[in-house]
Amino acid sequence: MTNYITSYCHILSDECWVNGKKIALQDSDDDITKQLYNYLEMDYPKFFKMDRLSKTAFLGAELIKNNNLALLNYKDDEVGLLFSNPISSAETDLNFLKSYQNGGMPSPALFVYTLPNILLGEIAIRNKWYGESVFTVSENFDAAYFLSYCNMLLNKCQEAVLCGWIKNNETFLFLVEKEDVNQLNLQLSLEQLNKIYLKKIK
Amino acid sequence: MQTFIGAENIISPLGITAEENFNSIKKNKSGIKQVEKIGFGKEDLYLSKINEENPKNFFYYLLSQCLQSIIKEAKPRIIEANDTIVIISTTKADILENLSSPMIQPVHQLIKEFKLKHTPIVISNACISGVLAMNVANDFIQSNTYKNAFVVGADIVSDFVLYGFQSLYAISDEPCKPFDKNKKGITLGEGAGGVLMSSDSTVFKAPFFEFVEGTSANDANHISGPSRTGEGLFRTVTKTLKLAGVDKENIDFISAHGTATIFNDEMESIAFDRLGMTNIPLNSLKGYFGHTLGASGLIETAICIQSLRNNVVIKSEGFDEIGTSKELNVLTQNLETEVHTILKTASGFGGCNASLIIRKL
Repeated sequence: MTNYITSYCHILSDECWVNGKKIALQDSDDDITKQLYNYLEMDYPKFFKMDRLSKTAFLGAELIKNNNLALLNYKDDEVGLLFSNPISSAETDLNFLKSYQNGGMPSPALFVYTLPNILLGEIAIRNKWYGESVFTVSENFDAAYFLSYCNMLLNKCQEAVLCGWIKNNETFLFLVEKEDVNQLNLQLSLEQLNKIYLKKIK
Repeated sequence: MQTFIGAENIISPLGITAEENFNSIKKNKSGIKQVEKIGFGKEDLYLSKINEENPKNFFYYLLSQCLQSIIKEAKPRIIEANDTIVIISTTKADILENLSSPMIQPVHQLIKEFKLKHTPIVISNACISGVLAMNVANDFIQSNTYKNAFVVGADIVSDFVLYGFQSLYAISDEPCKPFDKNKKGITLGEGAGGVLMSSDSTVFKAPFFEFVEGTSANDANHISGPSRTGEGLFRTVTKTLKLAGVDKENIDFISAHGTATIFNDEMESIAFDRLGMTNIPLNSLKGYFGHTLGASGLIETAICIQSLRNNVVIKSEGFDEIGTSKELNVLTQNLETEVHTILKTASGFGGCNASLIIRKL
């Protein structure tokens, strides 16, 4: 069985690359997520309620979609989501903790983001995708996990799998499909995956 | 190739083996008790808590004890084998002891203590984590990536999680009453649950069962509110039945999620109505264990396996009169009957839903 990486993107602290090509962002002191939101000319008010983890994953998914419009032709339950990171929802966890310490009240708006899989929900809601979705926590980018589980899902019930490693300043997303629709000539393999991942991550 | 499942374990206020837990709930004994002044506003609240105050590293203790118990029921040294993976299911691990990275340290400890060949996979997918972890294990076994999977789920009651659910007004001021007319929300619980899954039937010491299939589906609706049409639950159950090649008529019993919040239970009733499964005997075990979050899918599946062993399905504790818009066959008494095939479901924040089917061989 041969599957293909048909798009990929890296979101770093102040730059973003799609299929290895740097995106021309306007000079700005804004957070990279705000810059990308503007770059994508989005009008999606829910975005501003999200925590940073969800925002980053959400924008990565939008960038990949922009580059792979055929993704929208799959049936609504044929696109799977496999996402992972090393620290779960630690940033929001800390903010939620702060909300009720020192005399404050626990914030329900923060609490709902104290689960890392919420970002899967945000991407599913945006695209009306009802496919399989799994969030895992691992110390490092685990190419072997993505490789084997992607192949499994494509073999079982999915036509495409969007994968993401969502870490502050070194986010990496890639789309895997059964055909090499964008002709990037990147067969899904351990070597290829590690090579592309490391392209922009120091 | 089949996937087999067995060697189940549960650690809860009701006991430290699956058998102890099953015998307690068979007598309709619940682990839920009132705990004084534990709420954010120093309210007394009902919880299914193992200790009044948890010792240090209690999360890791639960994981490691649960895994140890499964190992005792497995062929020696399987845990150290090269074709064995450990899969952990948790929502928050020991969040207050290690805020910046709660899940990586327990993984390192497990590798060291159990001499694991591969780094455990941590599934953190809200309240479907446990069911999803078994589904992932099955996928790995079916694709020959691994032969054996020890799947262990644990979560503990912390101020963090309790205050969070209180902030959502989701905590009941009495023991939870899933699917009931007078339900008032969830009761939190803590504990661990685990199973061994394998393509090799000789790894089990005691009788084992078949893990037929499992899938997941997102609601694509709202991050903290269940779909009003039960779309994700409807889709995952439909998909699991189809891939398993099992007709809904052959499902003897449904172990539902049943958190006792109005929106969740209503969503489940709508999904089961759309599925044409409202006549099938069903329960929620939250009235015995509380909602143990990342452990719940594993604890409840371990009870399902006990039901297959003993041919008894357990009354849905806290339920008197139906409180959902669609009728469900919620068990008001234990049912002694030949149980062959069971459907287990779970739903959670982030719009996630999962289901699995286990049956006798």
